[in-house]
Amino acid sequence: MQWRNTSHTYGAVARFLHWSIVILIIAQYVMAEAADELPDGLAKLEMVTRHKSFGMLVLVLALARIGWKLANRGLPPPVPMPAPQRIAAAAGHGLLYLLLLAQPISGWMMSSAANYPVTFFGLFQFPALVGANHDLHETLEEVHEALFGALVVIAVVHALAALYHHLWMKDDTLRRMLPFARPRAR
Amino acid sequence: MTHARPSLRMLGLAATLLAVGTAHGATAWVADSTASRLGFTGTLAGGTFDGRFHRFEPDIVFDPADLAGSRFRVTIETGSADTQDADRDAILKGPEFFAVERWPVAVFAASRFVSLGNGRYEARGRLTLRDVTRDLAVPFGFQASTDGRTATMSGSATVRRLDFGVGQGEWRDTEWVGDEVTIRFDLLLQRK
Repeated sequence: MQWRNTSHTYGAVARFLHWSIVILIIAQYVMAEAADELPDGLAKLEMVTRHKSFGMLVLVLALARIGWKLANRGLPPPVPMPAPQRIAAAAGHGLLYLLLLAQPISGWMMSSAANYPVTFFGLFQFPALVGANHDLHETLEEVHEALFGALVVIAVVHALAALYHHLWMKDDTLRRMLPFARPRAR
Repeated sequence: MTHARPSLRMLGLAATLLAVGTAHGATAWVADSTASRLGFTGTLAGGTFDGRFHRFEPDIVFDPADLAGSRFRVTIETGSADTQDADRDAILKGPEFFAVERWPVAVFAASRFVSLGNGRYEARGRLTLRDVTRDLAVPFGFQASTDGRTATMSGSATVRRLDFGVGQGEWRDTEWVGDEVTIRFDLLLQRK
C-alpha cells in the first residue's frame, strides 16, 4: 500500500482522511437532527455529547488532512486545465478546508458560550473558547447551522466536479481519491 | 464582714459580664451579598461545568477563639441556581433535581467546629437538600481583618447528589451526570 501521495495518485493516508471526514460529517448531521427531535433529557444529553465528541474528531482529522497535504504538496492536475478552472478548484478546496475547521470550532464555541463542557469521548476536556454568554450562544447556533449549509453546498459542487472529471473528461481525478481504486493504466 | 458585700457584688458583676460575654462571645457576621459567592461544580458527560446560587443567606456566628460558641446556618434558595443555560437550569430546578416548588430551600446548619491549624477550620453539621438530611463536614479558611470588622471565609465540600435524591429516574445514571458535586463558597463578612 502506498501511504504517501505520489505524482499521480493520493496515498492511503489522504484517502482515509478524506473519506472518514465525509462519513463523520454525514453521521454528525444525523446526530444533530436526532438530538433536535429529542425532548430535554438524558437521551438528548447523550446524543449532543456524542455529536460534540465526533465534531472534535472531525476537527482533529481536518487538521491532520491539512497538515498531510502541506507535508505532501498537492498533486499536479490530472489533465491540463484552463487557468479559471484551476483557480476555481483551488478556491473550492481552500473553502472546504476552511469550513471543515470553522464548523467544529463554531460548535465548540457554541458549547462554551452555554457553559457546557466539550470532551473527547469523556477522555479529556477541551478548554472553553469563550465565556458563558446567552446571546453569543444564540448567535453561534445560527452560525453553526449556516456553516453547515455552506459546507453542503461546497461539498456538492466538489462531488459534481469530481463526477464531471470522471464521466465527462474520463480522467483520474475521482479515481485517485476513491478508497480502493487504482489509476487507469497509462 | 462589711467589706465583703462590695466584693460579692463585684464577683456577681464579673459573673454577669462573663455570662453575657459567653452569650455574645462568638462574633455574629453578615455576608456582603455582592462580594460573596456560593458556587458549585458538577460533571457532565466527562467534563465539568460551574454554576452558582444567586440567593443564599449565611447566618454566621464564628470566632476562632470561641469555637464552642460558633454556629452556621446557611439557607440556600435552590431556585436561584444558575448554570448559564436556561435548558439545564430548568432541569436542575425541576422535580427530578432540586424540585424547588416542593423544597425551595436547602439548609446547612453546623454547631460543631474544629481547628485544622493555619487559619483553617472544619464545620461539622448537617445539610438538608430536598427531603434528605445528612452529615456534612465543611473545611474552610477564616481570616479576620486587623480591626476585626470584616473577615473572609472560604472553603469547599464535595457532596454526592444521589445521597440527597438530586437526580431522579433516568438522572440516577451517573455516567452522564456525575454523582459528586463540589460546593465552593467565598464570603466577605461584616461584623453585625
